[in-house]
Amino acid sequence: MDQFIQQVATGLSTGSLYAILALAIVLIYRSTSVVNFAQGEMAMFTTFIAWSCINWELPYWVAFFLTLLIAFLLGVLVELTIMRPVENAPPLNAIIITLGLFTLLGSLALRVWQGQPKAFPSPAVFNGAPLTLGPAVISRPNIGVFCMAILIMIAIYLLFSRTKIGLAMRAAAQNRVASELVGIRVGRMLALGWGLSAVVGAAAGMLLAPTIFLSPSMMQGVLLFAFAAAVLGGLDSPVGAIVGGLVLGVLQNLAGTYIDSKIDITVAFVVIIAVLLVRPKGLFGKQTMARV
Amino acid sequence: MLDVLRNRRFIFLALALVLLAVFPYLHTLPFFESFIDSYRTFQGMRFALWLIILMGLNLLIGYSGQISLGHAAFVSIGAYIAAILMTEYSVPVFAAVLIGGLLTGCIGFLIGVPALRLSGPYLAIATLAMVIVLPQILKHDLIDQWTGGVMGISLDLPHVPGSLKDRATDDQWLYYVCMVPAIIMTAMAWSITRSRIGRAFIAIRDSDIGAQQMGVNVSLYKMTAFGLSALYAGTGGALYVYTLAYLGPAEFDINLSLTMLVMIVLGGLGSIAGTVFAAIIMTMRIDLTDWIAGIIPAGERLGIDTTRGALFGILLIISMIFTPRGVAGNIQKMKEENQGEKIRELISRLRSRFRQKRDDV
Repeated sequence: MDQFIQQVATGLSTGSLYAILALAIVLIYRSTSVVNFAQGEMAMFTTFIAWSCINWELPYWVAFFLTLLIAFLLGVLVELTIMRPVENAPPLNAIIITLGLFTLLGSLALRVWQGQPKAFPSPAVFNGAPLTLGPAVISRPNIGVFCMAILIMIAIYLLFSRTKIGLAMRAAAQNRVASELVGIRVGRMLALGWGLSAVVGAAAGMLLAPTIFLSPSMMQGVLLFAFAAAVLGGLDSPVGAIVGGLVLGVLQNLAGTYIDSKIDITVAFVVIIAVLLVRPKGLFGKQTMARV
Repeated sequence: MLDVLRNRRFIFLALALVLLAVFPYLHTLPFFESFIDSYRTFQGMRFALWLIILMGLNLLIGYSGQISLGHAAFVSIGAYIAAILMTEYSVPVFAAVLIGGLLTGCIGFLIGVPALRLSGPYLAIATLAMVIVLPQILKHDLIDQWTGGVMGISLDLPHVPGSLKDRATDDQWLYYVCMVPAIIMTAMAWSITRSRIGRAFIAIRDSDIGAQQMGVNVSLYKMTAFGLSALYAGTGGALYVYTLAYLGPAEFDINLSLTMLVMIVLGGLGSIAGTVFAAIIMTMRIDLTDWIAGIIPAGERLGIDTTRGALFGILLIISMIFTPRGVAGNIQKMKEENQGEKIRELISRLRSRFRQKRDDV
């Protein structure tokens, strides 16, 4: 039983890594219906910017918030310059553009910061001995990432459900023409969606970097699982992204411990596909109706 | 007979076939040797392989409208089946390729079943799972006596059969081994897309509910699309492994899946000619970025190795913005608009305006 609890706890902390990037993916999907393959690379790139800031001897938190600001501008810039022209093109084109951005950012980072992994500092609150909760032992950075994921989710929830801007963003995503008719600046809302998503991605990158080390390829593995998590939870649901990420992490750990450590990923994905067969739009996704 | 010769498309096709037939020997001819070397024969072989593999993907995505990011997994499965047949059971290559392709096709057909309920990004990620999961399965203890686990499979590089030894090099032999099936399968794809099956695919792509109302068996055709696409990928993979000395579980990975998707969109979705362009770009993509890095002023200084990826990314973004329907779609559009007429009209208008100004002065 103790082993089980420990495995669940470890799974939750792996899962929170997936969850936080899945949140960023969901944010863009919700507002623009684009699956952003460059999400991980954008997060990696902004984390490198934070690393440079810290190297110029800026205090951690100054670098942190400066990076969030830069990430926001980067996200808005990406939407305005390269996503806006393909707004009305077939959806695959937008995906290909994000793949182009993926390659571009990856090789730029390799060019500027080189390939060898770098240590990234974690904020002082995360340092110290692992915490013991009942029979389970969890490291502080993992708890930090977990709490941050929950905090970001709550912030997004409040933004979308309690503010006028959030309402406008939801409207713009749901029905473009009608939103324009009631005076919502749809273009601005889409750019805002990309900006916010880049901010969440940057936060994810800076939280992950201390545990998985900073390198141009750091996000590629995580991104695939983040996609899986977002799809499991439902691509349009922030709560789903968190739940999906945590479930995926726990599944992977339990499958590795109790079934066969050599096929842990396989088991996790088989479960995801089984869930999708019952609920094709994910656990928390809205079922849609089509009119012919 | 003369009527056939007047058909421009027929002449073009015949010329292309003749070119493909003599291509491996071009670099030995006096005039052509100045700009073609024997490496192009190797590239021609790769082009044939990509043509088969990408044709399958375009049948699935471009014609039936179902997105798959798992195509590399089918290529890998076909390659493994053929490699095991050739090394363990010394099956001749033609039989190994045929069995590899057909078995992969069956697997693809079955994978079409869970795909029936999913669409869009959900289907994309579910198929992506295949590529992520496959290496773990290939490495597993239960089957590693055949797949070689992490070590993979070592193969003998193929050689020209004895009777042809003084007529062809190994590369030239491989070129024909790959090009002949590629041409046959392209012709097959052409006729499929113009048959009842092809029309059903297109109907499903445009609206699956609409297709159902018209009496199309949507489930059957969706699974058929997956099966056909896997058949092409498996055949391509089986031929591919014949040209390799080593096959490992990560040979065909997620990056390849994504690159293939990019290529068919660049070439032109839902078009046979588009797939040919896609295969050309896939084969030449490194030559292409190197060439561009060579002609832009800062290319040298930035270092080609690191700029290659950046250039490729920029090219992707630019081409999606300016030619959203790919090379084939763009040619089609130019034909429709009759660009030549337009340019002539523009020139004459400019000329008359110029003349007017001169008169004013």
